[in-house]
Amino acid sequence: MADNAGAPKPSSSVKLVLLGEAAVGKSSLVLRFVNDDFQENKEPTIGAWSHRPSNFTLTLISAAFLTQKCNLPTRTIKFEIWDTAGQERFASLAPMYYRNAQSALVVYDITKPSSLTKAKHWVAELQRQASPGIVIALVGNKLDLAGPANEESGVTDTEEEETQGDEENRRAISTQEAKAYAEEEGLLFYETSAKTGENVQTVFEAIANAIPESTLKPRGAGGLGGAGRGGAGEQAPVNVGDASRPKEGCAC
Amino acid sequence: MFSSLIQKAATYLTEAPAPSSANRPNKAAIFRSYFRLPDNQTPLQEITCELTAPTGDHYVGKLYLSEAFLCFTLYPPSSSSAAPATAGVGFTLPLCAVRRVERLHSRSYMFALAITTWHGAASTKEERLTLQFTGMRSSCESFCDRLKRALRIQMSEVKNMKLLTETCYSEYLLGTTSESKADGKKREKDPPDAGLGMLFRYPGDSRKLRDRSKMRLWAEYLRENGRNVTLIRQPTFHKLVRVGLPNRLRGEIWELTSGSMYLRMFNPRLYQDTIKEFEGRHSLSIDEIEKDLNRSLPEYRGYQHEEGIARLRRVLGAYSWVNEDVGYCQAMNIVTAALLIYMSEEQAFFLLSTLCDRLIPGYYSTTMYGTLLDQRVFESLVEKTMPILWEHLNKADVQLSVVSLPWFLSLYINSMPLVFAFRVLDVFFLEGPKVLFQIGLAILRINGEELLDATDDGAFISILKSYFSRLDESAHPRSENEKLRAVTRFQELMVVAFKEFSQITASTVSEERIKHKEAVMSSISSFAKRTQLRNLGPEAKRLDAADLSIIYDRFHAALYERQLRDAAEQEKRKKQVKSSSASTKSNISSNPLSTSSNPTTMDYNTFRDFLSTIAAWGVADTPPPPPQTNPYTSTAYQPPPQEPADHDFIHRLFRRFDSDLSNALSLPNVVSGLAGIVGHRKDLMHTITYWFELYDDDGDGRIDREGILRISEALLFVTRRSLPPPSPTAEIDPSSIFLAAVSGFIRRCFEYADEHVYSPTDPLSPPPLIDLPDLPSPPSAMSPSGEKKNLRDSNPVLDPKRPLFVTLPTFRMVVLADETLERFFESGWADTFILSKNRNPNNVLSAPMDSGLHAFPFSGQVPSLKGIRGVLDGIVDEATRVAAEVRRRMEENQAAEIQEEEEEGEKEGVGAEEGDRELLKGAEAETVEMGRVRSEEGEEGERRRRSLKVVEERGEVEWGVEEGEGKS
Ligand SMILES: Nc1nc2c(ncn2[C@@H]2O[C@H](COP(=O)(O)OP(=O)(O)O)[C@@H](O)[C@H]2O)c(=O)[nH]1
Ligand SMILES: [Mg+2]
Repeated sequence: MADNAGAPKPSSSVKLVLLGEAAVGKSSLVLRFVNDDFQENKEPTIGAWSHRPSNFTLTLISAAFLTQKCNLPTRTIKFEIWDTAGQERFASLAPMYYRNAQSALVVYDITKPSSLTKAKHWVAELQRQASPGIVIALVGNKLDLAGPANEESGVTDTEEEETQGDEENRRAISTQEAKAYAEEEGLLFYETSAKTGENVQTVFEAIANAIPESTLKPRGAGGLGGAGRGGAGEQAPVNVGDASRPKEGCAC
Repeated sequence: MFSSLIQKAATYLTEAPAPSSANRPNKAAIFRSYFRLPDNQTPLQEITCELTAPTGDHYVGKLYLSEAFLCFTLYPPSSSSAAPATAGVGFTLPLCAVRRVERLHSRSYMFALAITTWHGAASTKEERLTLQFTGMRSSCESFCDRLKRALRIQMSEVKNMKLLTETCYSEYLLGTTSESKADGKKREKDPPDAGLGMLFRYPGDSRKLRDRSKMRLWAEYLRENGRNVTLIRQPTFHKLVRVGLPNRLRGEIWELTSGSMYLRMFNPRLYQDTIKEFEGRHSLSIDEIEKDLNRSLPEYRGYQHEEGIARLRRVLGAYSWVNEDVGYCQAMNIVTAALLIYMSEEQAFFLLSTLCDRLIPGYYSTTMYGTLLDQRVFESLVEKTMPILWEHLNKADVQLSVVSLPWFLSLYINSMPLVFAFRVLDVFFLEGPKVLFQIGLAILRINGEELLDATDDGAFISILKSYFSRLDESAHPRSENEKLRAVTRFQELMVVAFKEFSQITASTVSEERIKHKEAVMSSISSFAKRTQLRNLGPEAKRLDAADLSIIYDRFHAALYERQLRDAAEQEKRKKQVKSSSASTKSNISSNPLSTSSNPTTMDYNTFRDFLSTIAAWGVADTPPPPPQTNPYTSTAYQPPPQEPADHDFIHRLFRRFDSDLSNALSLPNVVSGLAGIVGHRKDLMHTITYWFELYDDDGDGRIDREGILRISEALLFVTRRSLPPPSPTAEIDPSSIFLAAVSGFIRRCFEYADEHVYSPTDPLSPPPLIDLPDLPSPPSAMSPSGEKKNLRDSNPVLDPKRPLFVTLPTFRMVVLADETLERFFESGWADTFILSKNRNPNNVLSAPMDSGLHAFPFSGQVPSLKGIRGVLDGIVDEATRVAAEVRRRMEENQAAEIQEEEEEGEKEGVGAEEGDRELLKGAEAETVEMGRVRSEEGEEGERRRRSLKVVEERGEVEWGVEEGEGKS
């Protein structure tokens, strides 16, 4: 945790919010990113932050809060991640979390067409309501469920899905379609698998790199305040616990 | 999934009136919430009086009588924002718990009553409470009269009261002891259910909590001041609550101070019945509850056990059925889990419902507006009371509510160690929601300095988190003063909350809520609107954003209006039915807002309302709108002062829009329905097909005679108001042209009806359609070839024996044969819908008109001059009648036909058939004539009068003919 031993690279915190339909894998992505772990059939996020030794899922009602550092060559970015969750009705609370976020991960499930519709809704919402410079990444998760043959070009996927059966390829949204949309809207775009870890670090790195220098706010100038507070933040049950020590992740 | 978003908006609409009416609630509502009474109670009598408690203490205050309660308080409820009566001295006494009332005659000039309650032993005078009235004798008398009557009625509730008290721990605590003295028996009854704590221990160390000595103090208090339903609140009561309730009494006191006890008393079977009724039933809420059961206070032993889980499942499930509007919202699991540690399932069920309906309304609703509103209120209180911290938060870009929202949503239950959260709840139920704000402010104040160093969400959260985890530590560990050292951080928190923030009162909170309500509501509704509009089907892309926005607004307005109307009707009915004995049954199950879920779809009648706001033809002709100014001149949507029209055509549209055959229209249904019309403006072929399909009932690609007539009626119906007033430059009145066009349409349809279809029935003689009188086709002049032939030959179209059909190609041809109709199908039809404002009717009117004949359209506006309207209506009526007549005659014909077959000699039909022909001919002749009248006569007024007269005369004549026929 006390990893401010090295050179005093400029460090800044970036608020990131995860949005997307329930069960697309938002929490799993965060867990993979922060803890390099994956849990099959993990419970969806809710809970309230508590005094008790908290586990991963129980943080804040309507959202979980986590932090993770990302070392870029020139600077360190500390992501403050809000993993929104809960029922559909909690959606009206979402503005609270994205209001002053500098970045957002809008996640859909490549096997579920409705989740892309929902993702588009969130993109539109962010473009309209969030701070103007927000960096948005569109992420198609559960890439491991796409058949290996079609990973690259998803053009004929929908048809082949039927013939190939569910084991092989369950992709329902082609890479092309989502990519075209992302380009049109000026979003970063990746397909990931929280399960295998594929592309997960890449997404966060890409976001870290895309945050304009000007919008970065220094974190306590790396001095007293920064170190002290930062340390507290990481010990607290807010984080995943000891295992959350940054692994190879984001040693980018 | 989207349906829940739709529901969200709908919920907003239904929720909206609640808080707005809470702005100025009526006296009864204030009264109820002040004394925490069920929703059916109203203040019947009030009088100033002096209370002498059994302890001998005297208080001067006000006594109130409602249908089922006698309430005393020192400070009468002034407004909705008053702190609840439970926060002060007094009592809320159900009349069924009154054993005896005596009139005291000790001092003649005074009017006094002695009341013996259920728990007071009648023999000992000390256990009575006396009430000395001050006021005019007559008002004292009338109070007593009402009281007497109410007491008698409430006798029937005594058994419910007894049932209730049996489940109260206080009964067990006191009752059995005294009984055992009397009967010489030992305690043998099992104690009533006081929550999971009895099975799995209560949280915290009971010795540290001094539970036993608290229990002793309570026993003493309850013995002197009555218990559960008969309890009198004296200052000691509040002190005892503030220091923390003892485990086994906690549930009961919560019930009592929140008022949920009265709901439970008057609905003794509701919980069990609900469980039974819905056993095994599934719903979205039930599924969601199931997922959360294992993570509701999982650290408490009771919830590591099936018994605790099962109780939680039942209570949450039952509530989700009783109040389907709220259903289940995450965080309710945590709150309910907490309640169940201290109370039985049934108690928790009613307390949960009191929470959701009364104490924190809107917290768990589908929009969570209460939650959002209170966060705004909290932020504004922080800004007022801690401006430096507030400024710092803003600078650091930390959104306070991400931290404070969970505090409020779960009533601090998951933020603090349970033992402390329960102490907050003790005060919360006693004093109301302002407690949540006071505690929140105190937390920030105490941690203020540290928080000023926090520069991001993470730091902010961790400071507070570590604070909560150390609430049991000393607040002043380094103090010299031993007493100070003994003060825990939690005690400090309570002191800061209730002393330093004593200025935060119930009325502060309610004023702030009013101040921010509108902004919160509008952001919720615009969020809901954006969400819904983005989630419409692909068809919606045919409409522009402005159109969609208008459709959305009108759609919800129609639903809302309808709901208000239904509610008002229901209210009326309730008032009529209102019977005195049943009136104590509280609202939990009968509240229309809690049982019926919010409509998100329109039924046929609501659809009519909706149409009347987006299409001029959607407004009925009768009754004439009330004459304040001129209602016809307004262009904008008027909330329905107009009666919506009802017409076969509207039925057909409804069915067409109802693509999923649910007999109800959702917003996506309506949007794609309208997109199918308005979105295809200029697409002539599409529109012709559209109309054809509307009338091809069995989908066989053919429309029969009946259908043709109905189409013509519909054409006249939808254009009857949409015709622009005759412009001075126009040579011929467009309405007459349209009428002529429709007449021509009927004729041509019959004329070109596909012959082969009826050839089977009459293969030898194809009907000589050509012989039909050649009626004028607009705009060319008329040429009434008035030869009278045998109608059986000349008008075979009216021969019901000959089935007659038009196919789509024929229909198309007939439409395209007429310039007027073509224009109507091309754009006029779409233009009868008044959507985005940018398409201004006036612009259309002044737009270039080809050949002096502007297309119909537009003006969703009805002509502004009544006279003109009269003319148009006359014409339209006439034409509609023509169609109706034609049909009637046909039927008659058919009847005659049958008759003829039966009795050959009769020669009846001729006259009727001749009439038919006259009719068809006449209608056209007249329209043309009128056109001529107009073009010839310069003076408009005169023209109008004349035309009107023509119509009238004609009407009479026709009428006469009909009657004659009827008789013969
Ligand atoms: N196969 C596969 N399953 C995943 C992946 N990510 C998440 N899941 C599963 O999807 C479900 C929902 O994940 P969760 O992270 O809770 O979704 P959230 O509601 O968006 O936070 C869980 O059962 C996960 O195990 C992935 O990349 N691949
Ligand atoms: Mg999640």
